[in-house]
Amino acid sequence: MSLLALLAISFFSGLSFTASEYKCGSIECYEFSADTKDKESLQRGLSAYMNYCYGCHSLKYSRYKRVAEDLAIPLDIFEQNLIFDDSKIGDLMQISLNESKAIELLGAKPPDLTLEARLRSPEWIYTYLDTFYEDSSRPYGVNNKVYVNVSMPHVLEDIQSELSEEDYDRYIADITNFLTYVSDPSAETRKQLGIYVILFLLIFTAFAYLVYREFKKDLK
Amino acid sequence: MATDTRTKRLLNWVDFRFPLTEVFERHLSKYPAPTNLNIWYLFGFLLIVVLAMQIVTGLWLMMNYTNSAEEAFSSVEYIMRDVEYGWLIRYMHAAGASAFFALIYLHMFRGMMYGSYQKPRELIWLGGWFTYLILMAEGFTGYVLPWGQMSFWAAQVIISLFSSIPVVGEDLATWIRGDYLVSGITLSRLFAFHVVLLPILLIAIVFFHILALHEIGSNNPDGIDVKKHLDEDGVPLDTKPFFPYDISHDIFALGVFLIIFCSVVFFFPTGGGYIIEYVNYEPANPLSTPAHIVPSWYYTPFYAMLRAVDFPLFGLTAKFLGFATMMAAVAIFAVLPWLDRSPVKSIKYKGIFSKTFLGIFVVSFFALCYLGMVPPTETKTLLSKIFTIGYFSYFLLMPIYTRIEKCKPVPERVAQV
Repeated sequence: MSLLALLAISFFSGLSFTASEYKCGSIECYEFSADTKDKESLQRGLSAYMNYCYGCHSLKYSRYKRVAEDLAIPLDIFEQNLIFDDSKIGDLMQISLNESKAIELLGAKPPDLTLEARLRSPEWIYTYLDTFYEDSSRPYGVNNKVYVNVSMPHVLEDIQSELSEEDYDRYIADITNFLTYVSDPSAETRKQLGIYVILFLLIFTAFAYLVYREFKKDLK
Repeated sequence: MATDTRTKRLLNWVDFRFPLTEVFERHLSKYPAPTNLNIWYLFGFLLIVVLAMQIVTGLWLMMNYTNSAEEAFSSVEYIMRDVEYGWLIRYMHAAGASAFFALIYLHMFRGMMYGSYQKPRELIWLGGWFTYLILMAEGFTGYVLPWGQMSFWAAQVIISLFSSIPVVGEDLATWIRGDYLVSGITLSRLFAFHVVLLPILLIAIVFFHILALHEIGSNNPDGIDVKKHLDEDGVPLDTKPFFPYDISHDIFALGVFLIIFCSVVFFFPTGGGYIIEYVNYEPANPLSTPAHIVPSWYYTPFYAMLRAVDFPLFGLTAKFLGFATMMAAVAIFAVLPWLDRSPVKSIKYKGIFSKTFLGIFVVSFFALCYLGMVPPTETKTLLSKIFTIGYFSYFLLMPIYTRIEKCKPVPERVAQV
């Protein structure tokens, strides 16, 4: 018995070692919970993304039209303002980035961000966008606490200096919300449908239970 | 009435040429199930439902999936985004895999608890064991298909295990991969196994399993041989017909299961990274290895054993010994009927040793499951070793402890509630 107790103790003391690694690079992630129901935030996030991120970061598994419909943006307005090349509204959101040029300039190929929020987490993106700092040893004079020695320059530097801290936090929250939406565009439909499915199953199971109980009486 | 006789005539016509009514009554409506079956006897039925669900969702996934290294990843995202309800089909299939394993583990544990593997049910048990083997292969091949980072590296790690086999290992691994590295060639052959070979084997062996069960009849929590006491029609007294008594029970259980299952599918489809790993949202990249390569939770007990054996022995490498231990841990279930020398079936009437060792087995299994998920440390590897010994002691010491322990007498008839 004492051996078992010893085992149990050593087993659970082992658990505490696991949390030593930070989820957000060199720091703990900032608190953030993505809201993909807030259509206005998603629209602002989309517009910020298209203007500041989309030049280098494609969303190649997503389609323009799907984004427009999900975010309640009329297709013609979307086409006029948010499609910058000759892509059709039904096309995938691919960009014509010169890869070798990008590697020459930045040292790395900018990744596609369609699934970034699922790969890393919304908190990670939010914290990442909030933790650029000056570092003269880096090629662009900036470094990041989440993605240490990242090749990307601080693209939102001008925005950050123009806006108050609160407004900048909202700005990056919008982008994070948008990236969270685009990583799993069916999430809201799924949750809504899920409620009906579970309600149906509860009723079904209640009746199934009554049938079961009735037959069980026979066996006594 | 007219239609009634017409149906009857049609049925007679068929029955004259094919034993339809007989098969239906024997395997479904009149199958005699012991009256004392409990909650542990539900998982077989639920496993059949999950198998059917996996086949149907798998079929629909296959309609839009592309099995090439270039397009596999994006075809999965195509299913998730552009195919109507593609996300639902895929989440059901992914969560279905985890449900399949959770249920089969519970089903196996039931067999171990109540001695359902004992004479005369050895072949039923072997059929079930073979189902489990194929399911493991099915799980692995399916896991590779989305061709994300974890898919690729899991394939890399698992297939490279074969290369540890002395002499033929390297050639064998190359033969399995069809290439010197995991590549599109590997992907498309694993796809072929996943959608054709393994499902056919799975269905065939499940059919065998059920046929064998219906020949012998179900065991029960008391391990009482219900066939000793028959009524005047030759039906065991302590049984009830499957329809309506068991089916009503099973359908209620199905409702409860679906509530849990659909809660996962609709609200936690990635299962916190245990059903769909986050690393797998990055396309396969042979040039960058993920920090932690972790198999799915249902393989982690065996993965922990693989890592626990970290020493070479008798000129064999540690990797091979770990691989052999892992294989032995799965294979040893097959000989369970011949390890158990107890005169009684159910744990209820077995002695203190059987209870203790079954307890050690359960604790070891869960502990190894956890230890296989986390990055190894020195303490954890030591713990893995201890629990690996715990796991095997249940099996290897069974011929001894089941013979020397004192068992309680088994009642002649099932107690009337």
